[in-house]
Amino acid sequence: MSRVIAFCFLLLAAVLGFLYIDNRPAWAPFQSATVSVGEEGQAQAYPVKKSSSVNKLSVAHPQSDWLPDTGAASVHAASLIGLKDGSIRAFWFAGTREGAPDVVINSSVFDPRSAVWSAPTIVMDRVTAEKGLSRYIAKLGNPVPSRSADGSLQLFFVTVSIGGWAGSSISTISSTDEGATWSRPHRLITSPFTNLSTLVKSPAIQFADGRLGLPAYHEWIGRFGEFLRVESDQVIDKRRMSSGRGAIQPIVFTNNAEQATAYFRQTRSGSALKQIPVSETRNAGQAWEIIGDLEIPNPNSAIAAVALSNGMRLLVLNNLEGGRHRLVMLIADSTSSDQAKQGQVVQVLEDDEVLPAEQRREFSYPYLITGDGSDAHLVYTWDRKKIRHIHFDSAWLTQLQSQLKDQKKEGGQ
Amino acid sequence: MMDRLMQTIALIEISISCTVIVIWLIEKIFQVSMPLSARTILLILLGNLLFWPLGLFMELPIAAYVRGVTGDLSIVSMLLLWSALLPSSKPNPIAFKVVIAIVAVSFYPLALGLSMLDPYAWGYGSIAFLIGVLVFAVICGLTNWNKGLWIIAVAITAWTFHWHESTNLWDYLLDPFLAIWAIGSIVNSYRLKRRERAQSGYLFRAG
Repeated sequence: MSRVIAFCFLLLAAVLGFLYIDNRPAWAPFQSATVSVGEEGQAQAYPVKKSSSVNKLSVAHPQSDWLPDTGAASVHAASLIGLKDGSIRAFWFAGTREGAPDVVINSSVFDPRSAVWSAPTIVMDRVTAEKGLSRYIAKLGNPVPSRSADGSLQLFFVTVSIGGWAGSSISTISSTDEGATWSRPHRLITSPFTNLSTLVKSPAIQFADGRLGLPAYHEWIGRFGEFLRVESDQVIDKRRMSSGRGAIQPIVFTNNAEQATAYFRQTRSGSALKQIPVSETRNAGQAWEIIGDLEIPNPNSAIAAVALSNGMRLLVLNNLEGGRHRLVMLIADSTSSDQAKQGQVVQVLEDDEVLPAEQRREFSYPYLITGDGSDAHLVYTWDRKKIRHIHFDSAWLTQLQSQLKDQKKEGGQ
Repeated sequence: MMDRLMQTIALIEISISCTVIVIWLIEKIFQVSMPLSARTILLILLGNLLFWPLGLFMELPIAAYVRGVTGDLSIVSMLLLWSALLPSSKPNPIAFKVVIAIVAVSFYPLALGLSMLDPYAWGYGSIAFLIGVLVFAVICGLTNWNKGLWIIAVAITAWTFHWHESTNLWDYLLDPFLAIWAIGSIVNSYRLKRRERAQSGYLFRAG
């Protein structure tokens, strides 16, 4: 008799399970990309011209300033998002050192009209995180903001309960007042092994149904990228973007509703090529395939990228095989012919190459966004002591693009 | 509101699970078998001690510190552990442990990045995976292990109600502690059998 009751209960569970799966949202295409890229361009790497050099532009140099100083000895992992009123909100973590218990996630708002940053506020600290998540938290890291379909701001951040960054999990908070106040944190469950080792670094992209595609990565036993499909504060699906131990911190460019390309920070060991691994999808992120390397040196350091509305793609990275003492901006035009798709260094942002090795500073963790589709805001860690912000306005970028086209024409003649 | 309830339930579960392990350890170490009433009293006392914030130098209840390291146990682990407290508890079938061990040994390397195949992703909504789990539950029932049938049915139901933070069915069925327990039990059973065989061989070997 008890077995009959047990089988009846299993039948009920089966019905509930099938209904649950049936009610899951179908996988949606990406939100329409700003620029459509030709089919032939997808599988092609963007080799950097060896002869490329810094261009001298006649327009004013991009405006540079610093994120507000909180007095913390160590700052890192800054990120940005555009607000509804046109201003830019920055997030970064700060404390006595990376991974210290006193590390907090700070935020400040940049007013483009006055070019002034607001006084920094604390968005999240360790004790608030652990009380909200009802579990011990040892340290905080990597804040990554996003805009939800309902218009609210969502901030993903990394927490660690035990061990180093390999023991990370992702949590999220949301704000309906553009970041003035925030909800209780929620934990995203992304890994079957006590939810260990999933981190975020790069901006999310949107699906046409309003859900988010969040590029994430593991760095424990494996070092690989994953594409999380996020609805509110839950992961509802995920797909692997790479495997093995060689590629983390994916950053995704959507080419059209179905196709996207991801660039990774390489973490290869030994004599393997120190270049940027590339993965692509042709079905809106449901399946990814490693397609080779972007022929740009990468010293196991984060890269930043953004696509402007005119098809121009900006990348900021350390184009070195070792060290993080030089930071450059590259440009690639996804709408042009194959020849014009080549990435080219257009601006050296920082360079300590001439200094002795022990005096070289670290310029790392760049993060790029566009405010209005034609300009670009960049933040990056400056020697772990400060966060630098640079605004590249649309006039500068447009002139840069036309100058590059002229150079190419001259080169072709 | 629902989130707070979910977090409270998770802490209650961790408190009970930790207490059950402590009771089991006490019985093992002191070679005693407590009556159900004594187990229940200990469960209430220790469970409350773990669940409520004690202050002192701690910012959280003890259960929250444990949860920080272990995460939420799977429903299968939890119910197997809790059922061990019941006086009518019988040993779990070795075949079940073998299946858990085989699944875990093949699942975890793939789920942790060995290749582009990620079986963990099936847990978000694969009908084939759900059917596989249901078939396993039916086999448990047909082989007279009703407890297994019940536990898997409860796990599936908990997943559909989003009982824990995870939306992945795997997290309701399997966790590393269940895998370690299954592998440990199999190794222990094998060692015991070998010892028994060796002893019986010594006593009754042909002279």
